[in-house]
Amino acid sequence: MSDTTTARPLLTPERVEKLRDYVPFIAIALVILMFWAISGDRFMSVRNWTFIAQQTPVLLLLAFAQLMIVTTGSIDISIGSSLAFSAFLGALGMLWFGDVGLILGVLAGGFVGMVNGCIISLLKIPSFVTTLAMLIIVRALVIIMSDGTSIYITSDSGASGGNISSVAAPWLLSMGKFPAIFILAAIVALLMWAFYEKTVFGQQLRAVGGNEKVLRLVGINVTTFKIKVFAAAGLMVGLAACVNLARAGAATPQAGMMMELDAIAAVALGGTPLTGGYGSVVKTIIGALTLTIVRNGLTIAGVPPSWSQVALGLLLIAAIAISLNRSKIDVVK
Amino acid sequence: MDGLDTAPLLTVEHVTKSFGGVQAMRDGSFDLNRGEVVAIVGGNGAGKSTLAKIVSGAHVPDSGRICIKGVEIPRADHSVSHMQACGIEVVYQDLALVPNMTAPYNLFLGRIPRKWGLFVDEKKMRKKTREVLKQLNVTTVQDLSQPISSMSGGQQQSIAIGRAIAWGSDIVILDEPTAALGPNETGEVERLVEDVRDQHGTSFILISHNLDQVRRLADRIIVTHHGVTSREFKRDEITSDRLVKAITLGE
Ligand SMILES: Nc1ncnc2c1ncn2[C@@H]1O[C@H](COP(=O)(O)OP(=O)(O)O)[C@@H](O)[C@H]1O
Ligand SMILES: [Mg+2]
Repeated sequence: MSDTTTARPLLTPERVEKLRDYVPFIAIALVILMFWAISGDRFMSVRNWTFIAQQTPVLLLLAFAQLMIVTTGSIDISIGSSLAFSAFLGALGMLWFGDVGLILGVLAGGFVGMVNGCIISLLKIPSFVTTLAMLIIVRALVIIMSDGTSIYITSDSGASGGNISSVAAPWLLSMGKFPAIFILAAIVALLMWAFYEKTVFGQQLRAVGGNEKVLRLVGINVTTFKIKVFAAAGLMVGLAACVNLARAGAATPQAGMMMELDAIAAVALGGTPLTGGYGSVVKTIIGALTLTIVRNGLTIAGVPPSWSQVALGLLLIAAIAISLNRSKIDVVK
Repeated sequence: MDGLDTAPLLTVEHVTKSFGGVQAMRDGSFDLNRGEVVAIVGGNGAGKSTLAKIVSGAHVPDSGRICIKGVEIPRADHSVSHMQACGIEVVYQDLALVPNMTAPYNLFLGRIPRKWGLFVDEKKMRKKTREVLKQLNVTTVQDLSQPISSMSGGQQQSIAIGRAIAWGSDIVILDEPTAALGPNETGEVERLVEDVRDQHGTSFILISHNLDQVRRLADRIIVTHHGVTSREFKRDEITSDRLVKAITLGE
């Protein structure tokens, strides 16, 4: 018995390689067990998990948007600003056209994405720089448009009569609560999985991330493809903005600030290399959940918010250090 | 009519191509008949790969013309997809594979079959890939779900060549197909060229540095020198001496 165990080490290189694939799953399990051990029933309660299920969807949809873009080897740091812009236009749309006007929010996200894609593809400006500029510009536009005030979603139709900056939409507010928000997120996740894993478009995301030059050589129009990718991701941001509007009950000029970083972190926690070419919807879901759970668990454990941020940063570095096979990477930029 | 029937399968006339200040191709002219293997030889930087990319549609020539069966291809149609539709396929010098994608995906690159207009028809891709690998006599590729970067150089080469011959094209361009291969794999590639030509009447443009290989396979040899297709030899009039002289001095 003992002979065989000493002869064959437990962690052979192949097993380590296999294990890397499961890092996001192991991480989330450890995180849950840890907070359960620390906070007991205050963490492991139906009430708290309902809260987590309500809290994750916005981040999840933003992470999906980021996943599409990161898979092609680009990045989008404007999605937080785009979320505020889209939520604002969604709320305005409802003021102008009634409930269907919310669609304007989704389209606004798609529009910002398309502008990003056009600048990156046609003017050949790196995505980081382009979306950094858009992060600033779009946020400023929101502040100019809103004049610093918010549009509120209210549940009773009577009070909103003369008030221009509130819309009565009880249905939207209930969409922002469990179980509706959870069901919506599950449906989007399912569609995203089919889209990303099974369609020609989804495979082409990976191929562009792998070797864009080759695709051009075989006659694929990568320029228009990238514009489509940013527009598709933008529509997802627009949808996230509508969900956020439902959840927060208001379109505020500050909405979505720093959310771009959360989305990137969720993608990275899902084991997706930011260099492009690979990715997984299931693991991105796990990444977004992990991020939400850690933030929630730390709050329950009484850790001050600033220290929570430090812990999240450390977790991010640890997760990437373990899940990336760095021996296969020649250059780290 | 008579003129068209006897016209060569492919005619390249006085094509030129510059990149900024570099005149990569100054005067490229040659023709290719059905079932023929024409070799293009020349020193490094002589413009061989540029000529291959002009014929494949990857580069639009600055001037000159290309005719298929005597019919000129309009300037607007100098694209990879149009050349593919004309039956021209190419194996690029650096193979032009997408390293993180599977062998079937690379084989079908640019022509991925769809289900319901949207989804990848993976079953069809796998089936075809197995057929092509069998035709290439490659038995070492088992797992078709692995990224191609995990395969050996020879296996990757097979996929790249498979991509060019899998679609029953009339003309296959091979840009230094054996430069990175060992003697056994080189022999396999040479056997394949002869097989495909004999069975399907496919014509080949073979770019190679290996003069022995060129003399074994080619019916005619075109020498490029400083961007000019300067000389042409028939198979029986070549000696290594004359070839080396033509390559180095252009005479
Ligand atoms: N895309 C390009 N951009 C700039 N210069 C190029 C490009 N492709 C080829 N060249 C230049 O054109 C010349 C011919 O190159 P190439 O056709 O690759 O030669 P060969 O295949 O015979 O070695 C070289 O000087 C090369 O540097
Ligand atoms: Mg070359």
